[in-house]
Amino acid sequence: MTDDVIYDRGYRRYDGPRLGVSGARRAVIRDGIRRVLGLRRKARRKILPWSLLAIAAASAVVFVGLHFASSQIGIEDTSLLPRYGELFDFFSWVGILFIALAAPTLLIPDRTQGVLAVYFSRPLTVGAYLQGKLAAFLGVTSLIYLLPQLALHIGLAFLSDDGFLPYLGSNLDVLWKVPLVTAGYLALHGSLVTAVSAVVGRTGVAAAIFLGILTAGGSIASRIGLLDVPFARWVTLLALDQHPRIVRDRVFDITTADYPAVQAGFGMWTSVAVIAVVAVVGTWWVYRRYRKLA
Amino acid sequence: MQPVVTARGLTHDYGPVVALRDVEVEIPPGVTGLVGANGAGKTTFFRILLGLIHPTAGEVTVLGADVGREAGRVRGMVGYMPEGECLPDDQTAADFVAYAAELAGIPPGEAKRRSSETLFLVGLEEERFRYLGDFSTGMRQRVKLAQAIVHDPALVLLDEPASGLDPDGRDQMLDLIGRLGSFGISVIVSSHVLTDIERTCDWVVMLDAGALVRSGPLEAGGDLRTVTVEVLDNADTVADALRRRGFDVTLVGHRFVVTGDDGATEAAIVEEVARADAGLLRMVRGASSLEEEFLARAERR
Repeated sequence: MTDDVIYDRGYRRYDGPRLGVSGARRAVIRDGIRRVLGLRRKARRKILPWSLLAIAAASAVVFVGLHFASSQIGIEDTSLLPRYGELFDFFSWVGILFIALAAPTLLIPDRTQGVLAVYFSRPLTVGAYLQGKLAAFLGVTSLIYLLPQLALHIGLAFLSDDGFLPYLGSNLDVLWKVPLVTAGYLALHGSLVTAVSAVVGRTGVAAAIFLGILTAGGSIASRIGLLDVPFARWVTLLALDQHPRIVRDRVFDITTADYPAVQAGFGMWTSVAVIAVVAVVGTWWVYRRYRKLA
Repeated sequence: MQPVVTARGLTHDYGPVVALRDVEVEIPPGVTGLVGANGAGKTTFFRILLGLIHPTAGEVTVLGADVGREAGRVRGMVGYMPEGECLPDDQTAADFVAYAAELAGIPPGEAKRRSSETLFLVGLEEERFRYLGDFSTGMRQRVKLAQAIVHDPALVLLDEPASGLDPDGRDQMLDLIGRLGSFGISVIVSSHVLTDIERTCDWVVMLDAGALVRSGPLEAGGDLRTVTVEVLDNADTVADALRRRGFDVTLVGHRFVVTGDDGATEAAIVEEVARADAGLLRMVRGASSLEEEFLARAERR
């Protein structure tokens, strides 16, 4: 028989640095990124986000493959082949699904599981909490837009007849065009789904409502917007999904679709204004809602 | 010794409902019980101490800091264990408690270390890598306590910490709360289970319908001018008879409190209980328990 000893380690006081609100904000960002990607969560939480990321990355591989195949069969004019602008369209449903997953995952469980009571008992303010969530949202969702574009950029550089570095040098405009268009997508879709997530109690329902708004808006705009009745042209703006795509087409100087708003005579700046209005109203709505919850 | 909480003229209302009414109180360091029935204003008091809501009138300082002006600083020094559910099901206990420490400004590496240590302290060292969704009620209460103390607060506010626990779990939770005081952490624990307060606290603050009933050391609670009586039946008959004999009687269910300084009071009570065939269960001079004192004081108000 051995003599067992139970050690009570007691409680260790802490007199090290305290990082205040900025430290708390960084913690919210880290936790948010982990949560959306399912990191340090059960395996089933990882399936959807990583599948969507893989599909988005695969779409870039398809594009690079097209360029490779065309070079192998000797197509001279590669300007007809899809590139950066078209790639946004190619995986746009993946991006929208990822956004529809990310924002509700970031906001809803904290609220429905009562965790906000713990968070706001810390030095964390409502503003810092939402800023952290926003940064986490932008961090993970920009992955799904930027990673495929990066893969395409590197792939095209490798395939270029001019060589890798000369290709990068002659395509520097991609470095601002892709982030700018990504910002348009994230501002519109992100603020819309975030506003929905601020009031809905289930992640699946929030995602469905967000997708429903996009679908219904497009449907209403195409059916009513082009009728010959007063103010009908303004209804075309309700097709919210078209606005970042209109901006994208102008930025990359391509035409990928006949958008209702363009048919009704609106230009890119109207779409920029719509995106800005949705973003501002969505942000204000979420902040107002969380001020009440805190 | 500087009080951990000082409230002056503290009033808070939710529209027509007055949650706190002109509360003047000083709470010393140590383990303090905040007692009162449901709706007495305990949670509102906590939320004001954390700076989450602003009082309608009055002012409050926590650990010497004005909550109205320095809410962020106060929250950095205070830990809070809410009464309701507040744990994310999809995180491990270790991750959640570390995250709670980081939210209080502890750097990530140190937060992980303190998370492990704190979960060890509350008896969850083996389970710390399990997901919170798989935890029992008792384990969840321990995690809630761990997140409240992981950042080494000077004061911890515990809102009904033994709520929903079985007798063993309740015992263990109360032991843990008692130990916090020995670590130099001041505790304010709210409960409507007054025996829990009697067991763990050395100071008590009583609230009733938003008003301060009493604030003082627990052992000084007894009022030796009163006799608390509990009978099996016919309590109202006995109370009426004692009133006719000139005693001041407060009746609460099968219990009543009789005011009377001398031994004649006890003799009169025994006589009337026998006459009414009420069945004497208990008769004690002075408030023998916090619960009886609370009931008696609330009834008088």
